Amino acid sequence: MSHAKKWLQTMKISWVKNTAYRFNFFLQVIGPALIFFFVKYSLWKTIYKSSPEEMIQGYTFTAMITYHIWSFVVSMIGQGHSALDMAVDIRMGRISSYLIYPFNFWEFHTASFLSFQILQIIISIVTLGIFLATGILESLSFFHFFLGLSASIYVSLFWFVLQYLTGIIGFWLEETWIIRVSLQVITVFLSGAVFPLDLFPEVWRNILDYTPFPYLTYYPIKIFMGQEVPYLKFIYTLGAWLITVLTINTIVWRRGIRNYTAAGM
Amino acid sequence: MIKADKLTKKFTTYKKEPGLSGAIKSFYQRDAIHKYAVKDFDLDIKSGEIIGLLGPNGAGKTTLMKMFTGIIVPSSGEIVVAGHVPSKREKAFRKKIALVMGQKSQLWWDIPALDSFLLLQKYYEVPDSKFNKKINEMGEMLGVTELFDVHVRKLSLGERMKLELMASLLHEPEVLFLDEPTIGLDLIAQENIRNFIKEYHEENNLTVILTSHYMQDVQALCKDLVLIAGGEKAFDGPLKSFEKVLGHKKSVYFTFKDAISLDDQFFKEKDVQVLKGGREIELKIDESDLRDLSSHIIQNYPVIDFHTEKIPIEKVMKSIMKNPEILNQ
Amino acid sequence: MGFLSEIKHYLRVYRRYLSTSASQAMSFRTSFVLLIIMDLLFTGSSYFKISFIYDHIEVIDHWVRHQLMFFVTFMLALNALNTTLLSTNFWMFSDDLKTGNLDYILLKPVSSIYIVFFRYIKPSGIPNIILTHSLLIYFGMQNNLGFIEWLMLPFLIVLSFTLYALIQFVISCSMFWLIEGLGINFLRLQMQELARWPDFIFSKYLRTVFMSAIPILLVGSGPVHFIFDRSYWYLIPLMLLLCFILYYLLHFIWNRGLTHYDSASS
Repeated sequence: MSHAKKWLQTMKISWVKNTAYRFNFFLQVIGPALIFFFVKYSLWKTIYKSSPEEMIQGYTFTAMITYHIWSFVVSMIGQGHSALDMAVDIRMGRISSYLIYPFNFWEFHTASFLSFQILQIIISIVTLGIFLATGILESLSFFHFFLGLSASIYVSLFWFVLQYLTGIIGFWLEETWIIRVSLQVITVFLSGAVFPLDLFPEVWRNILDYTPFPYLTYYPIKIFMGQEVPYLKFIYTLGAWLITVLTINTIVWRRGIRNYTAAGM
Repeated sequence: MIKADKLTKKFTTYKKEPGLSGAIKSFYQRDAIHKYAVKDFDLDIKSGEIIGLLGPNGAGKTTLMKMFTGIIVPSSGEIVVAGHVPSKREKAFRKKIALVMGQKSQLWWDIPALDSFLLLQKYYEVPDSKFNKKINEMGEMLGVTELFDVHVRKLSLGERMKLELMASLLHEPEVLFLDEPTIGLDLIAQENIRNFIKEYHEENNLTVILTSHYMQDVQALCKDLVLIAGGEKAFDGPLKSFEKVLGHKKSVYFTFKDAISLDDQFFKEKDVQVLKGGREIELKIDESDLRDLSSHIIQNYPVIDFHTEKIPIEKVMKSIMKNPEILNQ
Repeated sequence: MGFLSEIKHYLRVYRRYLSTSASQAMSFRTSFVLLIIMDLLFTGSSYFKISFIYDHIEVIDHWVRHQLMFFVTFMLALNALNTTLLSTNFWMFSDDLKTGNLDYILLKPVSSIYIVFFRYIKPSGIPNIILTHSLLIYFGMQNNLGFIEWLMLPFLIVLSFTLYALIQFVISCSMFWLIEGLGINFLRLQMQELARWPDFIFSKYLRTVFMSAIPILLVGSGPVHFIFDRSYWYLIPLMLLLCFILYYLLHFIWNRGLTHYDSASS
């Protein structure tokens, strides 16, 4: 079998796996994002209730809601892939089969990730359609949509390698989900998924500028909204982080696998 | 101690067509499929007996065990175990029974077994003095006293099984249900478990129901045997009379220095099988002929070794499965 | 008499749960530390969230900063109790159903509901319980709570926690009917997410549903409204009533679930 076929087959399998328990998939992946959006929508509606024309840090009510709609899309596409529990594979010794297969562990997970992404993009587009039809989202520019989509997919690559890192820490740590959840909590808060970073105090914003966080949600949302964004800076900063984490992953994997085979599991 | 009368468990599943249309269809119209896991099963076990419950996979053994312990409710029929109806799941009843499943663990995985024992002590309200006596005794018998403080996940399967057994006996149950207690164990570990059950039974005189895939378990422990096939009882009686189904036969094996010829008149009318190119033979004979035949062979042939075996229960089982009528003869 | 000795029996079992859980936590020390950090991160981000919003506005609906802070802390305190005392059990329950380990639980001479929902305790949550409850006192002082309110506070926490627990137990029972129970745990988490905000941010229709039929919003908004404004007194008997209803509902559904479990296992 050619190598591309192996990838395709893996993607198919994980597609089936993801959609097999439809109800669970909805509750685990789409549900949280929707509830998160719904709560934020309700909150901002209450805040703006007294004076709908008021501006908070440059955001009208409509702008705020538009921000949150794109935040939903970015969280679905950019940071949706969080179900990576490689630690269980490692601890249960299931990883051993990948040391024998002519198909690598990372290839298997990356193929699964790609298949998951396709599903997430479809769901996002359907949800956007609903937002548009119900008038919650007022307008959509296809040019900015594709620009934003590309940015989100770029973000998802970084998010994936980061998740992968937390997974292979499982060589040393029994419960890696704690790290993943912590990462999620920090990222949701610091990347501007809760509310625009413009609402953060000046000091925080200055510090955050040196971290990858604003690039994970805030900038992609701005791109979707058609606002001026330092595109080049976005590409190379995230790129640098991507390469850094990828390098760490390679090193961690090599050390881990040595540990693992030495322990003779 | 255990009495079952026309015990029946019927499982109902529904035919399901694949895909969305199938799902919608099954919403308003479902075709039920009834399957009897156990049907009209009668049983009467006296206090202090050890009964072996045998049958092929899917025969209904586990369903029976679950009904006896009150985990599942019978569709019809009656059961009384230790004076209780199991499905009522009365507290007093649950204190009288114990279940060990070879495939599942009731010990906590990430902590030492002793911690699990202490928890069970509280569940069953076992007084401290009795608890200590119990774990010391059983720990000695099984040779696992030094394993009490080891994390369960670090134990071998054999060691864990011994501790599982201990865990289920802490409250001195009157009835012990053992569902495949030796599954997956090596021969020595199997024997250890068997010896322990035997010894413990002699000392405490509890009632034991045992299911197993290994006939040695049943042969070593049980005087009586119940055979279940397809949810129905196929045989119920002493192990010996079960073995008698194929007659009072024994297998005798002789090994010779050199290959012998079986042309002699002596072997003509015997049930004999040649093994290892004539260097070994297996004779199936009546028990009563054993003395005469053996001495004849030893005197006339270059015998270097011989041993006898009962006809293994597996063979008996297989013949019954193939031909259930033999039991009625 | 029988009742009292029964209570004693259950308390003795609970003490063993505490020590087995402690022993388990100590065998994963790195996880233990990381869990504490995770809780702190969550608590911290919850506060900064509210604080940053109030940097730009005066009121949300009619609540000023220290009022919402008190509410948020009340919910964080409840959540700290919830993660420490209950949450692990919900995840383990779905495992026990899948592996059939529930069989062993059913055999024990103790209520199976009790074993399933109280067996695992997470000692790593204790620092967060202390932190959030201290903060609750701090924000209580900022709101100038009166003597009666202070006196009522512990009782209200217990009442809210009971209601909260019962709602989650009832939701978890649906795992009996699902092949993969994981999704229900996420549904439960989404309920928690809703409860983290006061009822008035939601539309009238939703508020009615979530204050009565699925009373998840009542968990926090009930007692906090009552503390700020005595005219909300009726929410407290409502909570009590719902606790009773849910208690009986739980037993009903649980028994139905066990019947279903029995037909699924063979």
